[in-house]
Amino acid sequence: MKGNGRIIEYALSTLARRKFKNFSIAVVFSALIAVLSSILFLTHAYKTETLKLLDNSPEIILQNMSGGRHELIPTEYIKTLSGIAGVGQITPRYWGYYYDSLTSANYTLMAVDENMRDIQLIDGRMPQTDTECAVGRGVADLRQAGLKDDFFLITGAELSVNLKIVGIFTANSAILTNDLVVMTKDSLIKFFNMPADKATDITVEVNNPAEVSMVARKIRRAFPNSRPILKNELIRTYDNIFNWRGGIVLTMFFGAIAAFMIFVWDKATGINAQERREIGILKAIGWETADVLTLKFWEGAVVATGSFLTGLILAYVHVFYFNAQFLAPVLKGWSVLFPRFQPMPYIDIYQIFVLFFLTVVPYVAASVVPSWKAAISDPDAVMR
Amino acid sequence: MDAIIRTEGVSKVFNAGLADEIKAISAVSIEISRGQITVLKGPSGSGKTTLLGLIGCMSRPTEGKIFVEGKDVAKLPERFLTDVRRKTFGFIFQHFNLIRGLTVMENVMLPLYPTDIDGGQMERRMEEILDKLDLTAKRAVRVEKLSGGQQQRVAIARAMINEPAVILADEPTAHLDTKLSEDFLNIVTSLNTEGKTIVIATHDPLIYEKPYIDNIIEMRDGAVKEAALL
Repeated sequence: MKGNGRIIEYALSTLARRKFKNFSIAVVFSALIAVLSSILFLTHAYKTETLKLLDNSPEIILQNMSGGRHELIPTEYIKTLSGIAGVGQITPRYWGYYYDSLTSANYTLMAVDENMRDIQLIDGRMPQTDTECAVGRGVADLRQAGLKDDFFLITGAELSVNLKIVGIFTANSAILTNDLVVMTKDSLIKFFNMPADKATDITVEVNNPAEVSMVARKIRRAFPNSRPILKNELIRTYDNIFNWRGGIVLTMFFGAIAAFMIFVWDKATGINAQERREIGILKAIGWETADVLTLKFWEGAVVATGSFLTGLILAYVHVFYFNAQFLAPVLKGWSVLFPRFQPMPYIDIYQIFVLFFLTVVPYVAASVVPSWKAAISDPDAVMR
Repeated sequence: MDAIIRTEGVSKVFNAGLADEIKAISAVSIEISRGQITVLKGPSGSGKTTLLGLIGCMSRPTEGKIFVEGKDVAKLPERFLTDVRRKTFGFIFQHFNLIRGLTVMENVMLPLYPTDIDGGQMERRMEEILDKLDLTAKRAVRVEKLSGGQQQRVAIARAMINEPAVILADEPTAHLDTKLSEDFLNIVTSLNTEGKTIVIATHDPLIYEKPYIDNIIEMRDGAVKEAALL
């Protein structure tokens, strides 16, 4: 080992000699990175998962409105819709919400349709008879149920419906399917006591994606009490929601970030008399200014990079192994609190780099600059 | 005898232009001969330590010239000054200035860390010096755990590791009893025998009254009072 290698070795021994100071900085640094990274990881995971799944959703979802609220939509609309130029496949959807008092969780109940039969993200298969169902991972976990287990639901009339679980959605589709219970159309209509000539909403595919807005306007004209929801609008809305929530949380932590920066500045810049003397000694025994700066650079870099990586690992574990216990309620919102789901680990490398440059680089600079001031002075003056 | 160090009208002012300005030395012109033991003698505040720092390239003079091996170093840029300091001088400070928390061998090898000297060669040199100063048994001990005399020997070892031509010692016996002071002087004379030039700043008669001292430069109030070639 020569030159720089020995300086790095010496930097490590210097850190060990001031272990209390460096350990306290590392703890605070890691905690801050863990919080910031958790927010970034979680927001990005939600956005990615949501947008990825929305990418496969229909171009237009048509809902019927009454008194400003979503209502069941007559299936006879389909005939009129199919007459609109540019409209492709039209599918009525049957779904609703169910509060399960047994597990204190909200489930989304949905009728299986032709499009669903192609879904690959499942252990087992989709329901084919009125006594079968497929459930999301979260539902299965809450009910502690597996394939071929019984699954019962209680209707408003306190009648129970017994179904057999024939499929469980995998974790890859968690954000969409976690709270989902899929059954046949007849089972669902019977369970919710829905009129036979109505659906929950209707999905409309458009042959030419450039004409989606125009087709939506035509639908709106044909059915003034309807609300066509475009896929692009959904994507934009989710994107904005997660950005907004992430931004709010980051703003909340701004105070913590500012406090940390002051703490770091104080710790890193406040080289005490002993450290100044040590720099003077090194200069006196033949170290160049560049050698001292290399030493201080490595001291700062080891603490900052070590803390940064520790913070990232903590954030990863917190978000992707412990379901972001501390942040999920804020970022997901109240309406999707149950059942809990595990975010998939999608990470934006660009965000990591930005975080690195906003935390590690200032810290290293704050370590080197004051030492540089001491290092360019005459050793005699520094030691005095 | 040729002069390894020569100063011409050297002055040093601390905090120049400020209310607490101190004129530490003024118009000092001296010569240190190669291979000799020179003592800078004088009471506290006479400017011995400042002059020692100046000739050792630890600080720059406010005025005047300092020649080391015939080259004026007073105006040299920092990088070159460090190079002269590293290759020519070994320092023994009054308070030893060892780095606490490091072992004896780490302290001794510290001057060589930024150099390109091979690790094996570095260790061999260190072992040889520790052996000569009877510190081998203490090589892995942290310096703060050593006695004053042992710490000084570590400081001497560190000053020798670069194989400098000149050893500068500032009040080396200030914190030592008579026995340890004698030990120090024995080491110094042995280094001198090997050809090293020794410059000692002191007001301890135990040192400057020794018969083997070649040259005494007496200082008072920042100026040379008397220079005697013995």
